[in-house]
Amino acid sequence: MPASLPATIPACHCELAMPSQEKPSATQYDPTFLHARREAIVIFFVWLTCMVWSVSYCYLNGYLDNDASEFDAQSFSITLGMPTWVFWGIAVPWLLANVATTWFCFAFMQDDDLGTSPEELEAQRQAAEHARRAEETAR
Amino acid sequence: LNLTPVPIPVLLAAGSNAALVTFLVYTAAVLGLAAMSNRLLKHKSFVSEYFLGSRGLGMWAFALTFAATSASGGSFTGFPAKIYSHGWILGLWIASYMVVPLCAMGLLGKRLNQVARTAGAITVPDVLRDRFESKTFGLVAVTLIVFFMSFNLVAQFKAGSLILQILLADVTIYQQAAQWLGGITHDIEWLRNIDPGYLLCLVGFGVAVIVYTTYGGFHAVVWTDVMQGVVMVLGVLIMLPLALSLVGGLDFATRQMAEMIPPRTGTATLRWTEPPTSSTRPINAGDWLVDPQPGDELPRLFKVLKPVKLTPGQREVERVAVLEILTPGDRHTVLQDTGQGKIRRELQVVAAQIPPPAAADSAFDGRGVYVTGPGPHPASHDGFLPLSLAVSFFFMWAISGAGQPSSMVRLMAFKDSQTLRRAIFTVAMYYSLIYFPLVLIFCCSRVLMPGMDQEADSIMPTMAVYLTSRTGVPWLAGLLIAAPFAAVMSTVDSFLLMTSSALVRDIYQRNMNPHASVRTIKYLSYLATLLVGVVAAIGAINPPEFLQDIIVYVGSGLSACFLAPMVFAIYWPRSNKAGCLAGMLAGFAAHLAMYVGGIFAHGSFFRPYRVLDFDPIIIGLAVSFCTTYLVTRITPPPPEHLVRKYFFKHP
Repeated sequence: MPASLPATIPACHCELAMPSQEKPSATQYDPTFLHARREAIVIFFVWLTCMVWSVSYCYLNGYLDNDASEFDAQSFSITLGMPTWVFWGIAVPWLLANVATTWFCFAFMQDDDLGTSPEELEAQRQAAEHARRAEETAR
Repeated sequence: LNLTPVPIPVLLAAGSNAALVTFLVYTAAVLGLAAMSNRLLKHKSFVSEYFLGSRGLGMWAFALTFAATSASGGSFTGFPAKIYSHGWILGLWIASYMVVPLCAMGLLGKRLNQVARTAGAITVPDVLRDRFESKTFGLVAVTLIVFFMSFNLVAQFKAGSLILQILLADVTIYQQAAQWLGGITHDIEWLRNIDPGYLLCLVGFGVAVIVYTTYGGFHAVVWTDVMQGVVMVLGVLIMLPLALSLVGGLDFATRQMAEMIPPRTGTATLRWTEPPTSSTRPINAGDWLVDPQPGDELPRLFKVLKPVKLTPGQREVERVAVLEILTPGDRHTVLQDTGQGKIRRELQVVAAQIPPPAAADSAFDGRGVYVTGPGPHPASHDGFLPLSLAVSFFFMWAISGAGQPSSMVRLMAFKDSQTLRRAIFTVAMYYSLIYFPLVLIFCCSRVLMPGMDQEADSIMPTMAVYLTSRTGVPWLAGLLIAAPFAAVMSTVDSFLLMTSSALVRDIYQRNMNPHASVRTIKYLSYLATLLVGVVAAIGAINPPEFLQDIIVYVGSGLSACFLAPMVFAIYWPRSNKAGCLAGMLAGFAAHLAMYVGGIFAHGSFFRPYRVLDFDPIIIGLAVSFCTTYLVTRITPPPPEHLVRKYFFKHP
């Protein structure tokens, strides 16, 4: 389940310009907005980590030199059936990315109220009206 | 995804009409789902239900519609073809899918859903229009969506029809129907040059998709996506163990690939040992030719690439297009394996002109390129995936995926944030079960079926039949080859609905007739979906050639236009109409400029100019983000009531 977190975070990134108003305090912001923004920042860093790991590892260990004149297939390194650079540069980070995704979904991301749309409100109103009429008819 | 129907006896080999049965069962199932979802339309708000499923998608529906829509036909046709052609480097090409669910769903999902509910928005242009209270912004967004989607729909219709044509190539009823249609179209001027088989498949594919999308709306699209998503993952999970067991283990396959030398194309002069007569079998594409070498146990081996017309009495034929297989292991496989096509021993190879590829280094024979980066590329010295492109693809799939309006619509449709959390996890597992296993399967195919380099687009159905027929389960071929078909269908229906929603909701209802009755909107929605589908299908009768290039251009272009404005609109209270609109237009212009630059630099729109070798998506996104930020900074802040509405707590 998502960890319990404070409803707000400092407003250092939330510069809000409202000419006729003083700056709002962090507690005035919608908690769903603050949680979503914090989660987006974490996702960005997970993506960046995966990119740096995969691309740099594969480039340093899996790319042939431009001036290579031969390739030694006999000494080519294989791990679990795949080239070793694929194993450490793609398979392992993919596995860890799945672990990070699991942590994100079940331990970090907040369950927030997403609000009610106008058509949902209208549907609720109609349902209530329908129930009221049904009750009146029953009487 | 440059699909070319190849006359491979794919389904004949399976000994059944598996493809035809699959297609018919499939069509019946999607039409049934459309009928069920049409019933929902009678009980709920029509526009919200037809275009957005009443914001009520549960976990499985949301996860699988998101995954299936993102996985277009390219995932099961172009991607396997690329693995076959370039080897293990495709693992890095697709590696960013490890974070695609997190990025494409998590970056915007929760907040976009909340903003759309607050605004009462049904479509992506709706969100931008209401967030900034700007009709202009909404109309610009609609224009861009219709512009890009029109190209994409035509391309996807073509892809679907070509896949169907490949699948049905050897079904007798299909051949007879195509012949009958050819007799009719022969007398029609503008249809005379169109392959009747392609036309037939376009009609079959088009009618099925247009009918179920028009009739059922969003829920039909979602439910068929769920079914198609299940078919896709089942296809991969069945193929993987079959491929590994037939090849003799992944370790063996990789060792074989390490020894491989890329085959080379050229021409050969052939001579019949006996003068050919009118009953002599002609030289067909796919025929094998051997040229014994003195002192060498293995002969030279060639595959004919284009059929040659037979002239009775003429013993020698010059300039026959051939592919020479250079890897000894591959030659051994072909010579031993009768399933690889008939070896034409009655033909002698008199001479062969096989020039080295343009990009080849004379000191290097190419051994090892299938197990290392940057992977083989016949026309580029930098190889298939140089470092700059490897970085670009991390942007392309993960970041660009978040900027697709078709994905954004789905992010507006889930029920609650718990659904989002569970769906991200589900899609992450789903992609892990599809994309990395596809790399393994089609690396095995390189070893199992040498010499398919020139017809790599049909590797998926060919491999499906190869695996199932050799493991004694030919009936499974129908299910396996349904996967690419399902992938295209699930993408087309989403794009179709999105375009019609842009016309009905964003243009008609919001700008021309805000007080239109539900009945009017309902019939206009049906009509728009039908018309958009029919127009796209007509466009696909004679579609442009560069199918995959169009899909890439549209995908990256939409992201360059929509990602930055949407990110700023929902996460930055200071963002305003001027900044986001400027960012949208600047992203469009910068991305387009790279492609127009390609005309001057390389002579083709679809070979874009690459700044520092990076893909245009990176330039488009960078320009769009910078422009949005800078223009916002130098223009007045947004109205207070908008900031309070979208960013503040409400009592």
